[in-house]
Amino acid sequence: MYKSYLKKIVSSSVVASVVLLGTACNASNDNDKKVESTKVEAKKVETKKTETKSTTSNPSVGPAVADVSDTVKRTYANGKKVIDGGVTYPVVNGKTSSYYVNEKAHKLALNYGRPATPNEIKAWDIDVMPDGTGLPEGSGSVEDGDELYEEKCVSCHGDFGAGSGSYPKLTAGNAYEMQKTLVNQRLKPDDDGPKRTFGSYWPQASTLWWYIKTGMPHPAPMSLTNDEVYAITAYILSINEIKIDGVLVDDDYVLNREKFLKIKMPNRDGFIPKIDGPKGPDNVRAFYDDVSNYGNGTRCMKDCFDGEPKVQKIKLAISDFSPPLSNEKSLPATPKSAKAENPGKKVYEKKCSLCHGNDAMGAPVVGNKEAWAKVLKQDKETIYKNAINGKNGMPPKGGTTLSDDEIKQVVDYMIESSK
Amino acid sequence: MTKMSKNSDTTQVSTTESSEELLNRRNFFRKAAVYSAGAVAASTVLAPTRANAQDDPNIMEEKPWATELGDPVTKNQYGQPSPYEHNVIRRTTDILSSGNMQASIAVTPIQDSCGIITPNGLFFNRCHGGTPTIDPNQHRLMIHGLVEKPIVLTMDEIKKYPNVSRVHFIECPANGGPEWRGPQFNSIQFAKGFMSCAEWTGVYIKDILRDLGLKKEALWMLAEGGDSSHMGRSLPVDKVLDDAMIVWGQNGEALRPEQGYPIRLLVPGWEGNLCVKWLARLEFAKEPFYAKEETAKYTALTKHDGKAIQHFYANEVNSVITSPCPEKPWKDLKKGEMVEIEGLAWSGMGTIKGVDISFDGGKNWVEASLKGLVLEKAWTRFSYMYKYEGKDILLSSRARDDAGHIQPTVKQERDTVGVESVYHRNGIHTWAVSAKGDVTNVQILS
Repeated sequence: MYKSYLKKIVSSSVVASVVLLGTACNASNDNDKKVESTKVEAKKVETKKTETKSTTSNPSVGPAVADVSDTVKRTYANGKKVIDGGVTYPVVNGKTSSYYVNEKAHKLALNYGRPATPNEIKAWDIDVMPDGTGLPEGSGSVEDGDELYEEKCVSCHGDFGAGSGSYPKLTAGNAYEMQKTLVNQRLKPDDDGPKRTFGSYWPQASTLWWYIKTGMPHPAPMSLTNDEVYAITAYILSINEIKIDGVLVDDDYVLNREKFLKIKMPNRDGFIPKIDGPKGPDNVRAFYDDVSNYGNGTRCMKDCFDGEPKVQKIKLAISDFSPPLSNEKSLPATPKSAKAENPGKKVYEKKCSLCHGNDAMGAPVVGNKEAWAKVLKQDKETIYKNAINGKNGMPPKGGTTLSDDEIKQVVDYMIESSK
Repeated sequence: MTKMSKNSDTTQVSTTESSEELLNRRNFFRKAAVYSAGAVAASTVLAPTRANAQDDPNIMEEKPWATELGDPVTKNQYGQPSPYEHNVIRRTTDILSSGNMQASIAVTPIQDSCGIITPNGLFFNRCHGGTPTIDPNQHRLMIHGLVEKPIVLTMDEIKKYPNVSRVHFIECPANGGPEWRGPQFNSIQFAKGFMSCAEWTGVYIKDILRDLGLKKEALWMLAEGGDSSHMGRSLPVDKVLDDAMIVWGQNGEALRPEQGYPIRLLVPGWEGNLCVKWLARLEFAKEPFYAKEETAKYTALTKHDGKAIQHFYANEVNSVITSPCPEKPWKDLKKGEMVEIEGLAWSGMGTIKGVDISFDGGKNWVEASLKGLVLEKAWTRFSYMYKYEGKDILLSSRARDDAGHIQPTVKQERDTVGVESVYHRNGIHTWAVSAKGDVTNVQILS
C-alpha cells in the first residue's frame, strides 16, 4: 500500500514538472541558475545536485539543494540525514549559526535532580500504547457504557456520539463504510467530504482508551475508573459498528483487556510514512527528504503562467471575530461600575460554562433572559435540587464534584447574570 | 526660560496678523492661576495666542501630558501598554474552537507586530483544557522510560543546567488551515496569526540526557503536559538530540501561564502542538505512542488514496506581507509616492535565504531585501520600496530557505496534497490591493 502510494506521488510530480516546462517557467536546470545569483553559490547547488540525484524526483528544490557548508549540514553528527527535510547547524569554532556557545557547558554530564522512584513512575506513567503497554486489566459492557455515556458524555458529544455544537462527533456511522469516504475531497460546498471520526480515521484504539482515561469528561478528567473506561470505550466501539475478531460490538458485548488488544481499526493502514518498528524514524527521514510528498515551489521570475491570474475571492467570509477587529488608537470604553465579584462566577467559568456558555447543548444559556425566565417559573429550591440531582441532558451537579453549597452559589450567579 | 521666550515670540508673531483666530491659552493657565501666583503673572504676560488656520492645533495648543505631572514610578509595578493600544490584542472566532474556549485558540495581531519578537501578552494561545495556574514549587518534571537513570527534577534543579537563549517562532500547524479551499478571512490576524516569535531561554534536552544514559533502542520520546488535558505527543529522538529544549524563559521573563508556565517543550521549527506546555513528563520508548493529537487532529489527509501524513513535523517555508494588509490598508498615498512593502518570512526547516515579491498575482517576480536579524527557524523581516501607481495590484510574497525549499503556489500545493489536509498550508499568500489602497484576501489558482 505504502509503496504504491509513493509511486503515485512520484508519477504525479513528474506530471507537475511537465506542466511547468510547458509554460515559460522551467522547473529544472534553468531554474537553478535563477535561484542563486552568485556563481559560487550556483556551483554549490550543482555539487549537491549530482550527489543526491538518485534520491529525489525533483532536484530543483528541497533538501537536495540545501545550501550546505561547514556550519550548515543536511546530516546530523551520526551521519544520518536531518529527519524533517531541513538542515542543522553544528557548533563550529564556538558558534552555531549566529549564536555563540560556551562549548564546555554542553559537554558535562550534570548529575542534577534525583532518581524517580518506581512508585512515582507508576503514578505518572498514564499513557496507553498500541501493544498494550500501560493498558490495565478490567472490563465493561456496552450496556454500562451506554448508561455512563448518557450521564457523563452526551451533554457535549450528543446522542449516539453524533456531536453537538462544535464538540467532536464520535461516530459518523459504520466505521468500515465511513473509512471509504477518506478518499473524498470536498472541492465544492455540496460535495461529500471525508468523515474523520474515531471509527473511520483513527489508526489505533489504544488512543481512545488513553484519551478517555486521562482527558475525559472534559470538565473532570482522570475521574473515571478503569472499568468505566472499558465500558465507555465499548459503547463508542458499538456506535461505530466495530468488529473485534470478526464479532460485532453490539449491545450485549462485554469488553476486556484481552479483547481490546485484538481490535484492528479500519484505517490502520491509512497513514504515511510508516512510523512503527526499528525503521520508523528512517521511513520518516526518507519521506521528508522527498519534497514531492508534501509540496514544493519553483523560483520562476518571469511569465510564470499564461494569461491573466485566476483569482479566487472570498465567497463566505468568516468575520465573527471576538473582539471585533479595530485599528483605532483610542481610550477604551470606561468599564461599568465595578461590582464586587459574585463568588459563583469563577466556578461557573471553570465548570459550568462549557454547557451553559452557548446554546449548542440546549442548556439555558447564562445571560439569555428568555431561557432563564422559564427556569425561574420554578421556585429556587427546585432549581437547586435539579442542579444537584441533574435534569434532562444535565448530569448530577453538571458532572462536577462540587459541594451542594457551591452548586447553589453557582446557580445564584447564573440566575443573577440572566435577569 | 526657554518656554517663556518661545511663547513671547509666538505672541509677537500673532499680533502682526489681525485676521487670525483668537485662541485661549488653554486651561493650563486657568488651572495654574489657582495654584500659583507666579503662574498668574506668566499667564498675564503670555495669553492669548493666535494661530493660523493651517497650523496644527496639536502643535499650537499645549497638552495636559506636557503641562501636568504624569504617574509616579510606583504606579505599574508590572508595566502595561498604553491604554490607546487597547485594540492590539489576541482575538478568537467560534469556528476555531472544539466546543468551548478551554479547547480553542486566540491568535496574534501580526498586523501590529514590529520586528521579529512577539510581546508575551500577544503570543498566540492554544490550549486543550484551559490555561492552568501551576504552582512552580509543586511542579515536577519526570524523565523515564528507556534511560538507565530515570529522574525527577524540581523547577530550581532544571534551572541549574547551563541555559541557552534562542529566537524561534512557534506556529500552529493549522495556521492558514481554514483556507485550503479558498480565502475565508479578510484579516491577516486570522489568516496567518496562528504564530508568534520569541526569545526562549532553557536547557537542551541532550544536555540533561548526558547523565541519564539514553538506551540505544530508544527511538521516540513522549512529551506530556501536567494540565487537565494531559496532552502528549511523540517525537523522534533524532530531533530531541538535535535542538529540542525545555524552556522556562520567554523574552526575558518567566513563561506566561498561556505559554506553559513554569516549563514547556520547545521543538524549534516544528508544529506548535509538539511544543507541549506545562510539561511534566518525558518518556523514551522503542515505538511511537499514538497520542490523541496524532489522530483526526494534527494529521494531514492527502488526496492520494485517502492516505494521511501521520507525523508532520516542520512548519514549511512560508511568508506573508504584513504591510499593507486588510487591517492596515494603504491610505493617503499619492501617485508616484514611494512606500515600503513589508512582511514576515519563516521556515521550520532552516534559515530564510530570500523573498520575492509579485505585483501581478505571481506571473512576474522581483527580489525583496531581507532586513534585520536573519536567524534559523525564526521570523525574518523582508522589505521592498514600491512606487505607488494608484492602480489595482495582486501582491504576493514567496520565501525560500537554506534547506532548499521554496514556497509553492496555491495550485502546486493543492495538486500535491489536495484540499483536505487542514494542516501545514504554506501556499503563496496574495492580497488584492485596490486602486484606493484597500486590501482583501485572495488566492491565485494559476
